[in-house]
Parts: sequence; C-alpha cells; structure tokens
Amino acid sequence: MASAAPPDTARFGTSGSAGETLFHAACFGAATLLLVTLGGVVVSLAIGGWPAIEHFGFGFLTSSEWNPVTEVYGAAGPVVGTLATALLALVMALPLAIGVAVFLVEFCPRPVAQPVAIAVELLAGIPSIVYGMWGLFVLAPWFAEHVQLPLMMEAEPGSWQEKLFSGIPNGANIFTASVILAIMILPYMAAVFRELFMTVPAQLREAAYGLGCTPFEVIRAVVIPYVRRGMVGVIMLGLGRALGETMAVTFIIGNAHGFPDSVFASGSTIASTIANEFAEATSDMHSAALVALGLVLFLITFGVLAIARALLGSQRH
Amino acid sequence: MTDLPSHLSEEVHLAFPPRDALAIEARKLDFFYGKTQALYGVDLPVERNKITALIGPSGCGKSTLLRALNRIYDLYPKQHAVGRILLDGHDVLADRRSLQRLRDRDGGGDDTAMIRSPVDVAGLRARVGMVFQKPTPFPMSIYDNVAFGVRLYQRKSRAEMDQIVEKSLRRAALWDEVKDKLHSSGLGLSGGQQQRLCVARGIAVEPDVLLLDEPASALDPVSTAKLEETLIELRQDFTIVIVTHNLQQAARISNYTGFMYLGRMMEFQPTEELFANPRGQRTRDYVTGRFG
Ligand SMILES: Nc1ncnc2c1ncn2[C@@H]1O[C@H](COP(=O)(O)OP(=O)(O)OP(=O)(O)O)[C@@H](O)[C@H]1O
Ligand SMILES: [Mg+2]
Repeated sequence: MASAAPPDTARFGTSGSAGETLFHAACFGAATLLLVTLGGVVVSLAIGGWPAIEHFGFGFLTSSEWNPVTEVYGAAGPVVGTLATALLALVMALPLAIGVAVFLVEFCPRPVAQPVAIAVELLAGIPSIVYGMWGLFVLAPWFAEHVQLPLMMEAEPGSWQEKLFSGIPNGANIFTASVILAIMILPYMAAVFRELFMTVPAQLREAAYGLGCTPFEVIRAVVIPYVRRGMVGVIMLGLGRALGETMAVTFIIGNAHGFPDSVFASGSTIASTIANEFAEATSDMHSAALVALGLVLFLITFGVLAIARALLGSQRH
Repeated sequence: MTDLPSHLSEEVHLAFPPRDALAIEARKLDFFYGKTQALYGVDLPVERNKITALIGPSGCGKSTLLRALNRIYDLYPKQHAVGRILLDGHDVLADRRSLQRLRDRDGGGDDTAMIRSPVDVAGLRARVGMVFQKPTPFPMSIYDNVAFGVRLYQRKSRAEMDQIVEKSLRRAALWDEVKDKLHSSGLGLSGGQQQRLCVARGIAVEPDVLLLDEPASALDPVSTAKLEETLIELRQDFTIVIVTHNLQQAARISNYTGFMYLGRMMEFQPTEELFANPRGQRTRDYVTGRFG
C-alpha cells in the first residue's frame, strides 16, 4: 500500500494565520478570566471568612446563636431561613408556574397568548426592591390581620397548629417572605416553562390527540414527560434565584436572628443578614462571620445551579 | 360550491364501492387553512377491511384529507372543513359550527337526519387512529407506549394488558425484536422499529379505521417491506387509508387507489384498474411517471 502523504498540518493548526491565532487567544483569555474571577471569589470568601470558620469550626453551621455583642456566631438560623423560604416559595410558585405555562401553550387563543407571554416576561423584570416594598406595606399588614391572627386565635393551646403558627403578628415572617419570593420567581419560571413546553414537537402532540386524549391527558402523559429533565432544571434555577434574593426578603422577613421555630416566626436569610449587618460590622470576627456566611450561600447556590446545568445539559432528544 | 375548471372536470372518474360496505366516507369535502382552500369537494369512499391508497403530487391535499378524517385539524383554530364525513352513517363534522358552514355552502334544503349534538372528538379519534410520517413514540417505555391508548378508555387487569400489548406488537411485526426489552424506552428503537411501535400503539385501541400518512417514507427498504406485510395482515381486522408517494407501494398493498390533484379527487378506482387502465389523462401521466 502506498504511504499516504502526511496531512497538511498547517491547514488544521491554529498557527495558520495571525488572525486565527489572535481569535483563539482572545477566546481563551475571556474564558480564563471568567474562571479566574470565579476562583478568586471563592478564595477571597474563604480567606475573609477563615477567622470565623477556624474559631467556630463545624459549629458555625449547627449553632443558632448569633450575637455580635458576645461575639458568638452560629449560622444555623440564616441557613435554615434561606432554605426554608426558598423551598416554600418554590412549593407555592411551581404549580402556578406550570399552570400559567400550560395555559399559554395549550389553551390560550393565539392572539391573546403572545401579549400575555410578554407581560409575564415583563413581570420577571420588576426590580426586587419594588416587590419588597409592596410586601412590607401591603402584604404584611393584610396577612397579619386576615391570616396570622385568626389562625393563632383558632389554634388550641399546646396543639401542633399553635407551634406552627406562633409568632409576632406583624406579618413580617418566614411565610410572607416566601410568598414574596414565590411571586418573584413565578413569572420567571412560567416564562421558561413556556419555552420548554413549546419544544415539544407538534407531531407528538397530534399523535396523542390522535389516540383520543383530552388536553389534560396530553399534558400529563406526553408533554410533561417529554420535558421532564428540563423542568427539573427550571425548578433548580428558580430555587437558585430564591436562595440569593436579598432586598425583597430583607424588607419582610423580620430580621430576627436565631432559629425560626414556626412558619410565622420572624427570621433571616443569609443574604438578608449580610445586607443588614455588613455596614455595622465593627469587629473583625463579625465581618469574618458575615463573609463565611457569604461562602455558605455561594456553595449552596453553586450546588443548585450545577445540578440544574447538568440536568438541562442532558435535555437533548 | 366549487366547480372545477372545465379542462379538469372532464377528467374526474370515480368508481365507488357499494355504500353499505364503507367504513368511513368523505362527501363533498372542502378544507380551509384560514382563507386558503386546500380541498375542493373531495369524495373519498373507504371500504371496510380494505386498504385505500391516496396518491398524487406533493401539495395536492393528501395529508389534509387524512387529517380531516379524524378531525386532528381541530387543534388549530384557523383550520376548518365543510362537507360530510360519515363514520357508520354518522356525520363526524356535525357540530353546530360545521353544520352552519355546510348550510351556508349548500343552502337550506338538507336532510334532517343530521346529529346536532356536539361530536365527541376524543372518542372519534379513538375510533380513527393515525400514524404519521415521522415516528412519534411517546417518551415512555415500549410497553407503556402500546398500553397508553387502551388505558385512556378501559381499565384492564395487568394480565389482560400484557396480552393486548403482546398481540398488538405481534400484529405490528415488532414483538420478536422487543419482547426482551418491553420496559426500556420507546425512544431507543430504530426509526423503522419506532414506526411499527406507532402502528402497534394505533391498533391496540382497536380502531375502526387506521390512517397512515407516508408511514414508510423515513424507512429503509427492509423496514418498508416489513411494514407493508404488516398492513396487508392488518387488513383482515381493520380498515386502512394510506398516503404514499411510492406508486409501487400503492400498487402492491392497496385495494383502491385515489389520485388527487390540486385539492381534488381526480380518479378513484380499484387499484389494479387505476394502474392498468387509468381513465384520466393526468392520472395516466402521473402513474406512468410523466409528472409529479
Ligand atoms: N398548516 C398549513 N397552513 C396553510 N396551508 C397549508 C398547511 N398545510 C398544508 N397547506 C397547504 O395545503 C395544500 C395541501 O397540503 P398537504 O400537506 O395536504 O399536501 P400533500 O398532498 O400531503 O403533500 P405532500 O405529498 O408533500 O405531503 C398545500 O398547498 C399546502 O401548501
Ligand atoms: Mg403530506
């Protein structure tokens, strides 16, 4: 067999032309810069928070005592507050978001669907401080008067209801913070769900209708299973937003340290604690503890987003 | 009412099977995509337990006609049909809006035997199944794909369902290839297997009529041959309407063939008759490969 001529390597390498090289380098540089920034954030958070992490050890995560006067910092309160508000918000927003998206894709007449979809996307863009103010001035007082007080009056002393609903009846608590978060992530999730549902091929839908399905059966048995993985991704992204939301939550969560012992108790989240205290943190240990809190939030959010990416990435048919 | 241009009307040749042998029948069917008319007064008689093939150049309205028969076009608000589609003598287009359109077209003097209650469209579609050009397996296991339609309408015990699934897969000539992996995803099958899975899914609900829109166009010759065998077998139990661009295929498997052109049914004959002795000039040109 005749030996083939060696391939013209110059054609394939990036050394072919100066422009090509420059382009390659620019892309590489941009990508590297991003990674370096990310790494830098983690490292500086770790360094900044180190005194607190070193001093309190694992107790930083498990203790719920947070007292700047005695210089004792345990993050369990804000960590639980963060997770609780985000999860509660998700539970409230998810069915509604799916409902809105299904309505827009399957039932809504075409001429109405487009404007409504745009409105939903605009809602997703309202600054969070606006939601926070609305929550504090409108939702919280209404909630205290019409929900919290009646529920507390109803509950038998010593019953589980009493434990679940106890708290200062001012409407600034874990639950109302979750409601605000739910309202904030709802349009975002609905918009992404809508996009996702629209990726289901028309033929698949027709095939299901062709077997005699009702619209509900088509959605339950074909549309949702088809986009299942993507939906998990959207849920994670919504969760990520809820975890990191600061301003709106700071307005309405009540900003109480310590472990929230009922859904109507005031509490705090990691983000709201940092926002509230960073300016006034005078002692080194206080600021270190806040930076360490930031690191914890970063890790939680990063974990959630990484899962989302992995799931979204595998949504290829 | 739409009249054919005179140069076309000379060529219309329709030989109908006896009326009482028909499973489903379209009469004077017009179809509209918004304002665009795609079918003009089409008649399609479909005899029970026979295969009826629809042929004709691209864009002549074959898919449109098929999609009218099970009202799948209802999913799209802008599309509508005017005319009659009789399934067991019942007009499946006889809801109020369609009747109004029919009256507007044909005038008031209609027979009064028409149903006025809304048609149960989901029920209609369960009786008139459809297989599409591209395979459309649902994102679930092979077993569930086949069981899906049955579960919509009947409660079956596990054992009964197993039987139905096996029987349907056997009839679709797929059983031997999938019997060891019934519970793996239907999406993991080859294109030809997926298409036969869709046939199995379609026949599992025991429809009266099975509509197939170019079911073999994405398949290799071996899969095509298998599918054709399957269809010939299925003829014993079902009534089949198939759209195909493959004239040999129509000649091989069908009992009747309809030739469509520009949204009209130009010629409808027993298949041998249509291929051996086409009456119309256009039909002759088309089946001898002179255009299309
Ligand atoms: N969704 C639609 N909206 C508007 N017009 C359409 C639509 N679908 C089909 N048509 C038009 O209706 C006519 C008939 O189309 P149809 O799909 O029934 O043809 P066909 O015979 O199936 O063609 P092919 O052999 O290429 O599949 C064509 O002129 C086509 O442009
Ligand atoms: Mg077609």
